[in-house]
Amino acid sequence: MLDLLPILAQQIINGLVLGSIYVLATLGLTLIFGVLGQINFAHADFVTLGAFAAFFAARLTGGNYIFAILAALLVGALLGLAINGAVFSPLRGQDETRPLVATIGVSVLLENTALAVLGPVPYVFDSPYSNQVIRVAGMFFTVQNMLVMIVAVLSIGALYMFLKLTFLGKALRALSQDREAAGLMGINQKQLIALTFVIGSAFAGLAGAMLGPVLVLTPFAGASVIVKAFAIVIIGGFGNVEGTILAGLMIGLIESFTTQFLTPGLSDIVVFGILLLMLAFRPTGLIAERREENV
Amino acid sequence: MGQTRRALAIASIAAAGFVGLQLLTGSAAAQNSTKVIKIGALLATSGAGSYQGAQQKEGAELAIELLNKTGVNGYKFQLHHEDSACGPLPATQAGKRLIETVKPDVIIGESCSDGTLAVMPLVQQAQIPLINASASSLKITEPGNPWTFRILPHAQMQSENFSNHVYEKLGARTAVLLFENTNAGIDTIDSFEKAFVAKGGKILAKIGFGRDVNDFTAIATRLAGLGPIDIIPTASLEGQGVKIAQALAQAGVTKAGGGKAIQLSNIWLPAGFDEKAGKAATGFIRIVQFDHLEQRKPVQDFLASYRAKFGADKTPSHLQAQGYDQVMLVADTVRRGATDAKSIRDKLLETKNLEGATGHVVFDGKHQNSSVDTMHYVETTADLNWKSLNWN
Repeated sequence: MLDLLPILAQQIINGLVLGSIYVLATLGLTLIFGVLGQINFAHADFVTLGAFAAFFAARLTGGNYIFAILAALLVGALLGLAINGAVFSPLRGQDETRPLVATIGVSVLLENTALAVLGPVPYVFDSPYSNQVIRVAGMFFTVQNMLVMIVAVLSIGALYMFLKLTFLGKALRALSQDREAAGLMGINQKQLIALTFVIGSAFAGLAGAMLGPVLVLTPFAGASVIVKAFAIVIIGGFGNVEGTILAGLMIGLIESFTTQFLTPGLSDIVVFGILLLMLAFRPTGLIAERREENV
Repeated sequence: MGQTRRALAIASIAAAGFVGLQLLTGSAAAQNSTKVIKIGALLATSGAGSYQGAQQKEGAELAIELLNKTGVNGYKFQLHHEDSACGPLPATQAGKRLIETVKPDVIIGESCSDGTLAVMPLVQQAQIPLINASASSLKITEPGNPWTFRILPHAQMQSENFSNHVYEKLGARTAVLLFENTNAGIDTIDSFEKAFVAKGGKILAKIGFGRDVNDFTAIATRLAGLGPIDIIPTASLEGQGVKIAQALAQAGVTKAGGGKAIQLSNIWLPAGFDEKAGKAATGFIRIVQFDHLEQRKPVQDFLASYRAKFGADKTPSHLQAQGYDQVMLVADTVRRGATDAKSIRDKLLETKNLEGATGHVVFDGKHQNSSVDTMHYVETTADLNWKSLNWN
């Protein structure tokens, strides 16, 4: 076998890229769950539709990737607004299972509509950076993969600053801690909940725009990452952004090293084995969110 | 007298009614005398394999349209499609629905091996012949099933033929095997491994992956660390096939990326794969079941009909050709006197050297097409066209 060091270094890069992909796909899900305690099963379809929005926007503008990303953000945001208005808002305040089941219905609807309109044949979304390969010291990565990592870092940074430093961010955090108290403090719950969905779904659209050139692009593309995304939400700590980042990167590295030393088929077993262990021994996740209770 | 007239009037009305009734039922019988062969189609139009089923359905519908212009032996044909989604559970559900509601005379499909294997017990129980044209698993015909027929060369036929050629003609001695973890993927690669090793070749690694894998960079990195590789036989659907080719080129493993390895594929990838994979497909060698450049009459007739319907700039892939040939095979049995499920099955058994768009059909004792002229070897050139290798 050739020198192992460059191979290991390459697999670390591969793992971090894969992890960044998962983090991007999961961020919006984590935000919505963190603030509202609700899971949106249609999140995968928002990622997929974001990818297709980016694909067609790039095609319309002769390959303008920035425009494609903006289009995907907009489509994601609009989908979030729609699903909140049509599904979560009317069902809020009733039992918790109805909105959950409703999002499953939305997911089926979106997937089959996309299938009927776009067809089943895989699309090839080549961004201007998909085929540009950078080789350094025996390692390689595409510019697209580097862009995914950069966008993931910037998204995390932007989300973090928004939540910590802005009034709206603080209001969202207040809402996640105690909805009733937040309402008493004059926070408009309805508007903030809608904003959470818009932001979370915009992140899904953004993930789609970044992942489109990486994924096999069909109406089912988002489904291939979303199962891992749910695992990341749980392993990271329900609704915990720092935990999501850590879990996402960890899973990416697990997958790349499992592929190197064992076989790709085992990586799911490892990942979901960790999930079960976390649920059994540390159900709060890698980074448990501290909540203070006033008694 | 009055009573006589009344009796006569009643008798006349009754007679008129009787005659009218006879005319009506006669007319209905005349309408019902249009004979129909119902062809059930279990083809995947959702899920990862849906590009297969959608294109196969196109080919089947084209054949139906052409046949129904004149009919065959007084029969017209109807296609009843159910989405089998390339998986065992949806295929079973779709198969049951089809058999119970439509009661077809023959079924074509399924698009994938796992779906086909799931449906085979159903057709056996219902005693309806199943004609498959795209599932390569050995398990479909090797054990013997009186109601299943296959016109595609199975995994072992393809892999043995391929491994002989690459060993002799390319001088390949080392291989890494990449395959999706399905019956078809495993059978394809196991057959290749067996034949290649028997000739004296060496397998450096055998790597399976699920259909949900999108990023193949880690796999490509692993291959880059294995040293010189001559060939990389790959068994995957189109979408993953594109990503694998691109990842291997990016890692500098294959010829397209400046390496030395040649990627190979059995009859898995449709025409159009090369454009989607781009430069990463350069040097790719594969078996195609349908070559539109062939001058054989069935090929040119099919091509002309396809272009007349879908546009002069469109070219069908082997998938449309598969759907087309399956229906034409059914029509051939009807031409030879078949009228229902059992007689279609009996006539299929007697099929000798029927020439279709994909090649000749000669069923052996296990209902497997034994003709190898459906296997054409092509290499993707730098301008993403095909170069025929004329290996068979």
